[in-house]
Amino acid sequence: MDASEVEFLAEKETVKIIPNFSLDKIYLIGGDLGPFNPGLPVDVPVWLALNLKQRQKCRIVPPAWMDVDKLEEMRDLERKEDTFTPVPSPYYMELTKLLLNFASDNIPKADEIRTLVKDIWDTRIAKLRLSADSFISQLEAHAKLDNLTLMEINTIRAFLLDSLNCLYKLRSNQHPGSSKGQFADF
Amino acid sequence: MPCERKPMRYGHSEGHTEVCFDDSGKFIVTCGNDGDVRIWEGLDDDDPKFITVGEKAYSLALKNNKLVTASSNNTVQIHTFPDGDPDGILTRFTTNATHVTFNSSGSRVAAGSSDFMVKVVEVSDSSQQKTLRGHEAPVLSVTFDPKDDFLASASCDGNVVVWNIKEQSQLISWPLLQKTNDVSNAKSLCRLAWQPGTAKFLAVPVESKVQLYERESWDHVSTLSDDLLTQLVNVVAWSPCGQFLAAGSVGGSLNVWDVSSKLCVERQKHEKGFTVCGLAWHPSGSQIAYTDTEGCLGLLDGLRTSTSNSTNTASKQAAVTKPAKDYDALFDDDDDDRVMDEGQSDTNSPVKKPIAADDDDDDDDFLMPATGRVRSRAILDDENSLDTGSLKLGQEKFGDDDDTGSGVVPAAPLVPLRPAYEGPMPTPPQKAFQPGSTPAHLTHRFMMWNSVGIVRDYNDEQDNAIDVEFHDTAVHHAMHLTNTLGHTMADLSQEAVLLACPGTDELASKLQCLHFSSWDTKKEWMVDLPQGEDVRALCLGQGWAAVATSALMIRVFSIGGVQREIFSLPGNVVCMVAHGEQLLIVYHRAPGFGGEQALGVQLLQFGRRKRQLIHGEPLPLSHRSYLSWLGFTAEGTPCYVDSEGAVRMLNRSVGNTWTPVCNTRETCKSKSDSYWVVGIHENPQQLRCIPCKGSRYPPTLPRPAVAILPFKLPLCQTSTEKGQMEEQYCRSLLFSNHFSFLSSSGYEIDEEAQSQSQKDQQELLMKMFALSCKLEREFRCVELAELMTQKVVTLAIRYASRSRRMALAQRLSEIALEKSNQIQEVEPEEEEEEDYSSARRPSGSGQSEAAQGRHSSRRYQEEEEGQEEEQREEEEGREMETDEASETKKRVNPFAKEAVSPVKTNLTPITKGGRANPFKVLGSGKPSSASGQPRVTNILDNMTTSRKSFPLSGPAGKKNKNPVLKPLAPRPKTKTQSTLLQMSGTKASNKKTQQNTQPAADTQKQPEAPPPASPADNTENKRPKTGFQFWLEENRKSITADNPDLEETDVIKEAMGRFRTLSAEDRLSWTERAKTGDAADLKKRKRAEGGAEGAETEKGQAEADENSAKKKKSLDPSSKLSAFAFNKN
Repeated sequence: MDASEVEFLAEKETVKIIPNFSLDKIYLIGGDLGPFNPGLPVDVPVWLALNLKQRQKCRIVPPAWMDVDKLEEMRDLERKEDTFTPVPSPYYMELTKLLLNFASDNIPKADEIRTLVKDIWDTRIAKLRLSADSFISQLEAHAKLDNLTLMEINTIRAFLLDSLNCLYKLRSNQHPGSSKGQFADF
Repeated sequence: MPCERKPMRYGHSEGHTEVCFDDSGKFIVTCGNDGDVRIWEGLDDDDPKFITVGEKAYSLALKNNKLVTASSNNTVQIHTFPDGDPDGILTRFTTNATHVTFNSSGSRVAAGSSDFMVKVVEVSDSSQQKTLRGHEAPVLSVTFDPKDDFLASASCDGNVVVWNIKEQSQLISWPLLQKTNDVSNAKSLCRLAWQPGTAKFLAVPVESKVQLYERESWDHVSTLSDDLLTQLVNVVAWSPCGQFLAAGSVGGSLNVWDVSSKLCVERQKHEKGFTVCGLAWHPSGSQIAYTDTEGCLGLLDGLRTSTSNSTNTASKQAAVTKPAKDYDALFDDDDDDRVMDEGQSDTNSPVKKPIAADDDDDDDDFLMPATGRVRSRAILDDENSLDTGSLKLGQEKFGDDDDTGSGVVPAAPLVPLRPAYEGPMPTPPQKAFQPGSTPAHLTHRFMMWNSVGIVRDYNDEQDNAIDVEFHDTAVHHAMHLTNTLGHTMADLSQEAVLLACPGTDELASKLQCLHFSSWDTKKEWMVDLPQGEDVRALCLGQGWAAVATSALMIRVFSIGGVQREIFSLPGNVVCMVAHGEQLLIVYHRAPGFGGEQALGVQLLQFGRRKRQLIHGEPLPLSHRSYLSWLGFTAEGTPCYVDSEGAVRMLNRSVGNTWTPVCNTRETCKSKSDSYWVVGIHENPQQLRCIPCKGSRYPPTLPRPAVAILPFKLPLCQTSTEKGQMEEQYCRSLLFSNHFSFLSSSGYEIDEEAQSQSQKDQQELLMKMFALSCKLEREFRCVELAELMTQKVVTLAIRYASRSRRMALAQRLSEIALEKSNQIQEVEPEEEEEEDYSSARRPSGSGQSEAAQGRHSSRRYQEEEEGQEEEQREEEEGREMETDEASETKKRVNPFAKEAVSPVKTNLTPITKGGRANPFKVLGSGKPSSASGQPRVTNILDNMTTSRKSFPLSGPAGKKNKNPVLKPLAPRPKTKTQSTLLQMSGTKASNKKTQQNTQPAADTQKQPEAPPPASPADNTENKRPKTGFQFWLEENRKSITADNPDLEETDVIKEAMGRFRTLSAEDRLSWTERAKTGDAADLKKRKRAEGGAEGAETEKGQAEADENSAKKKKSLDPSSKLSAFAFNKN
């Protein structure tokens, strides 16, 4: 799975926008959207929100969690805890990226939010690496990680699977190899 | 305990704090360790004003709008209140002052200091100081004798001393306290307090008790204590009436004693048990504010009730003292000059002492400040005797109060001395405001937020600008204006921006209009108001603007700047809004009392018919609230919101009363939150508002988001099913009022929504009916049935008979009968009235079909319409299409075009009777009750035949009848059948026939409706029906059932497709049917046309016949009941 695919999935999340045009309900395969009243918040998928935003047809209302205080709290908690803490949205990273890239003018303190989300992301990825490391070093057969988001899983998957495969190969070679080695020693 | 302890709130940083009320009791004023004095408008004030007085503020006192503080720079300073401007330094010490206090009149300040000294300073002249030396340690607290003779102070040396101020000498000293070396080490602050008014007692907190010392004798007369009070008492304070004493202790307990009975009437505990270090009574005596050493502020509220609890007399006293107290506050305002006088006479006024001395026989000399002023004018004897005389009068009058408590006495004699008014005081009138704006003192504020857009004002040092932004960018792009004129008011509409600024000394008040929708190049105009006249409120209607001015005038301008109207308003305007042609003005009708605003409202309508709809009636507001928003719903119904969050809407159906539709406060999470309303929509029912956390209005940044609240009428028992349904029903009724208003004033209405809401109402009625049935409340059932339309009543009858309530069913059938009678009676009148409402009729041509097609919906909606009438009309329609109808059509079409899209037409309830009805006589003929017995059988026969075959049967029955009127005869049957005989099993067929005819109407209309031209041609062209059309009639329902969302054209397409799939034989047979049907139809129509003239002559006879038939149907209850009885079996 590609990161862009995850992003694509994230675009299905809904976000509030304040349209500056008037339109009746629109009926789409994914569900009905609208009606759009100028000045009145309405929930739409992120893809539509971004599209409208780029055409300057709406303002995006940042999700409630996209707030400096809340994110700071979250970051602190994430740093304090050894395990993964619940994230505000299963697509927090993607949404942050998308919204901040396209609608940073509608989001107060966009830069701080970017930094904070990046901090949270870094902390979580570090934890992920750490747990992967201990998983491998302790030769565990399985491990359970809660509260991981799709993007995070996706980030580590390629590396982890490949390396585990590699390890497996090395280990499976090790026994005969070790005996071989023993023989070789002789 | 009846008093309520409000939650503590953060006031200052940790450390010693003090609190007091201002003279009016409107503000709580605190000082604290952070050096700020904060002015709270109440405990919930989240944005208190603050005055920085120094690095630390040790103590404060407030009187006569002078704020005296002791700050860390060893000075005692004055600030003005509430502005907070420094007003000089009163006195200095070598170290910081520990406590400052005013005397009762506010002319002097006493300050105790850590340098062992107490100073008494004249406020007006700080050079006049008296220094009281004698303490041997820092002074803890000081208090004035209310009669200004003495001063008491407590000190860390353990002594409580009473001083004679004039002689600057110690009168008496009690070693009551523990000795310490500094205030900070003192266990108790030992705030002394002298009883106000009579000045009889001096309260001294000693350990965990409060000792009372009597004036003059200086004896320890009593001790107030409480078993539960074990910690040291820190502060004491007398209630303004002098009857109660409050004490706050180191451990956080708060006690209130009734001094005369020495009973503890109130016990409260600080919520965290911190040391209470400041305590103040509200001037009304109903609240106590207190502060603790952690910097928090708290409030005990509702003490008034405890007063009345203690004794009856106490409450009476309280009532008596209160107005006097209020008056005191007023009185204090003007004693500046007196202070001067007193200052001069102070040093050598021999009279004072004797007066003070003779107070043991009477209490009159508490008036000394007042009499002192007279004395200083040196007309001693005469004036004095006059005073005492009047005092005695007062004494007699209030003499009975004397024995219950001394506290009231001071107030009583005040009364006769004051010639002025002393009833309840008028409420300050609310200032004019623009609904949807935030306060003008803010640097960044909303000047207007309405359904069109937002006008913001940025007014800081470098820039003064106005931003106009439209919700819908299609209206206009955003605008940025520099606000050089200093506009403070704005309104915004789809056509223009209206701005106004108040006048200054040089410049007149200006009105500026940015008329952006103008098609010429001049998009702006400006008007100067006459000198001295200021704009107070303004609003924009459709094509006009109105301005209310300080000269109590309303000026109306056209949107292009023409002055159109000017008229006077009976009072100062509060606010003004416009919608379309309506102008709603709210103004002050009279001064309000007891916190209430007395507002009046006028609703005017401009446009073609100028008239006043509401003639200055009082505007109902919640208790002690003021108007906070005024506006129209998007549909044009006036509504407003008061400061208590109650939303009220005009109920036009009940003679322009105001109905509460929502209380935004109920949805608030916390008490200080509120909703700032920006708009109201009736369809869909939406209250658009901005949630404000901890304030009344939103900040401009971050940009607030609009939320939607539902409406809820405050009916009783809305938790029960019954209550809920009643609420829904009432709300639905209320919110559909605008349909009739809009249609009567010639606006387009959303017919679909209207019929939907009517359907909902009937559904709700039916549900309520079922519920009442279940609860065995048959009387209520009948009441509900009376609200129903005729058709729903028949359903109700069926329901009742099925649930075996025969008595009920019988009653209901009577109601059904009554309703059908009513319809017949009302109709002729209606026809005359409905001249303008006919403008609503959407379909130009094919009225007959339209009428037919709408039978079902119409019957649903218009209780007062009978089917037979419609059908008669349908006939007329056919006949008149050539001449009269085309006439009406011409009149109607302009509206029709804008009003409704063809899709909606089939749901449109047409109001018939727009055209002159040549058969109106029929109505008048109705009362004649001829016996049409044979017709009844005829009708019953007919019922079983399908309605579809009607055009065929028409000519057949015509033989012995007038050709024109003949078809009318059977029609009434269908009506009675639908209302009364459905039970007998014919319902199904009846329904079917209706459905059949309806699609026919639709299909015919469909091709015709869009081109409204040449009705005469149409009549010829449209007649021949194809086989497909016949087939469509039959199958339309199934198509629409399968695809409920299809639009008209789509239905036809779909039908075409299906028709093609039919076998050739089938199609042929349909075509055959079409031919025969057409032939009959044509024949009939021709005859109808030909017979129109002849109709006149034969009408009379025909009428008689057919009316008798109709009468028979509707009036004869026996037939109905027989049917009903039949069904039973």
